[in-house]
Amino acid sequence: MAELLQFIITGISVGMVYALIALGFALIWKSSSVANLALGQIVLVSSWFTYSMLVQAKLPVYIAFPLVILFALFLGWVIERFALRPLIAQPILSLITVTLGIGYFIEGVITFIWPWSVDALPRLFPKEVVHIGPAVISQEYLWVIGICLIVFILLTLFFRYHRMGIAMRATADDQMAVQACGIPVTRVFSTSWMFACVVAAIGGILISSIGGITNGLVETGLKAFSVVILGGLDSFVGAIIAGPIIGLCESLGGGYLTQFLWSGVRDIIPFIIIIIVMVIKPYGLFGEKRIERI
Amino acid sequence: MSLPCGIRNYNYAEDMAIIRTKTHWALLIAFLIIIFTMPLYFSNYWLGVFNLIGITLIAAIGLNILVGYCGQLSIGHAGFIAVGAYTAAILTNRLEMPFLVGLIGAGLVSGFIGIIFGLPSVRVKGFYLAITTIAAQFIIVWVINHWSLTGGFNGIKVPYASIGDLVFRSESSQFYLIITIAALCVFFAKNLTRTKVGRAFIAIRDNDLAAEVMGISLLYYKLLAFFIGCFFAGIAGALLAHWIGFLNAEQFSFTESILYIGMIIIGGLGTTIGPIFGVVFIRILQQVLTVNLVPFLENTFTMLPAGFATGVTPMLFGLVIVLFLILEPRGIAHRWGLFKSAYRLWPFSY
Repeated sequence: MAELLQFIITGISVGMVYALIALGFALIWKSSSVANLALGQIVLVSSWFTYSMLVQAKLPVYIAFPLVILFALFLGWVIERFALRPLIAQPILSLITVTLGIGYFIEGVITFIWPWSVDALPRLFPKEVVHIGPAVISQEYLWVIGICLIVFILLTLFFRYHRMGIAMRATADDQMAVQACGIPVTRVFSTSWMFACVVAAIGGILISSIGGITNGLVETGLKAFSVVILGGLDSFVGAIIAGPIIGLCESLGGGYLTQFLWSGVRDIIPFIIIIIVMVIKPYGLFGEKRIERI
Repeated sequence: MSLPCGIRNYNYAEDMAIIRTKTHWALLIAFLIIIFTMPLYFSNYWLGVFNLIGITLIAAIGLNILVGYCGQLSIGHAGFIAVGAYTAAILTNRLEMPFLVGLIGAGLVSGFIGIIFGLPSVRVKGFYLAITTIAAQFIIVWVINHWSLTGGFNGIKVPYASIGDLVFRSESSQFYLIITIAALCVFFAKNLTRTKVGRAFIAIRDNDLAAEVMGISLLYYKLLAFFIGCFFAGIAGALLAHWIGFLNAEQFSFTESILYIGMIIIGGLGTTIGPIFGVVFIRILQQVLTVNLVPFLENTFTMLPAGFATGVTPMLFGLVIVLFLILEPRGIAHRWGLFKSAYRLWPFSY
């Protein structure tokens, strides 16, 4: 029972982080229909940057985090401006491949600057454990859940009330009409990339403060795709609901299935979910079913 | 098809011929002679590089049929190559079957695994399919790492390829084996695209809905494309297994899959010559970088950071892929076409 509760809490908190990273994906997909497959590498590079700021430059947390956010904003801007802008209105194959190329490039930069490839972030959250019923849970999981919820709420408010947020939703809806209204679409794209990178960076910091920084974070970025697929590509609500589901499946499956199957089944569960969703309900729980015309 | 001045076609067979003029024939024969006498002029080291190029070429042709002709994006090609490689390894090592059985078996098993993971392609496309194939890649590598039959993390040994009493032990004998199969694959791919199947693929790539309305069975042709593409991957995997002699799932990483996509994009999607250019370009670049340039730079500039050697290759490849997509999305094949027409029209280029 205690074990089960523990699995549930860790699953939900990891799932929340997946949902956060998935939101980064959905942001870009909604506004510009670019599938960003470099998400994992963006998560990884921002975790390493945080490491550099906190450990190597020994900055206090309240200076380091704004710097990380600035870095993520800059990263998003650079990627959009120099790689995606020249490819506007290209076929989807080019758009997917260019993000793969960017991811590969970032991976090279990471091994270039941080060649030791495994390290731990300093503890960001208090260490004391919490007792919930019979279960003993490390407090950081609860912090992660809390921060994710705050980011979700902020993003929701941004999309509901801010001019740019409204412009982004409008662009997602109808690009032509938005252009006709005089909204600068390129700036919308660029903002969505910047926001996506920030969201991914926050996700990266949260997950690497628990599990350390490893190249496995790239795979975490890919696992976040299972969240987008399950929730539906263009749905924020879908991502927020599907994230904890994936996290729960992963942690419960890792906890109870490993004895029946081979080890490491935990890492593969999100990918199996992708295949299952693809066969049964390809547009996800909340995704818009696309109707095409010739 | 553009022909030199003064050459006309008088019947259908002439019009459809791949090789049209005497110059074509002369060039083709000269090229084949050069290729097949390569072991005479090159050292074992370079023959090894050419073997890798040949193997990669077979896989890239398969991927080009799947992505370039049929438009079904697959980013898990290294996984399908792994299926072929391990099938060949298991058939020849554990079950002691002959090499040819292993080769064909590898192609078939890989093809069927491809069909299984290609099933979602009937309903979805684009990004959804890309994600499915990425998932396929990770699931395949996981199964390989944990199944006792495949040797898991310890890897598996593969004997030398052999047909009857002929054992392909040296680099040069393997070169002949690989290059013959690669040439057959190029020939097959070139002809496939001129048949009904190839035209159906192109129709599906251009607009699958319109293709379906015209009576092309999407289920059949998309799965056929997956089968052919993965069959080639399986053949390449089997050759790779026999060439390296030792298999480990590390050799079939996700980055390798990205590199395959990069190769066919750099070469030129949907052309027969494209994969050849792309594969030669990437593999030679890789070789020159890791073996010649990086050690040279590290020796000359001692203040380079420690991650330089491992980091510079992915950085450069990522950059090359991005730059090609932005500056020359039609790949080297397009430049080659421009060069050919400039040559044909010279000196009166108007």
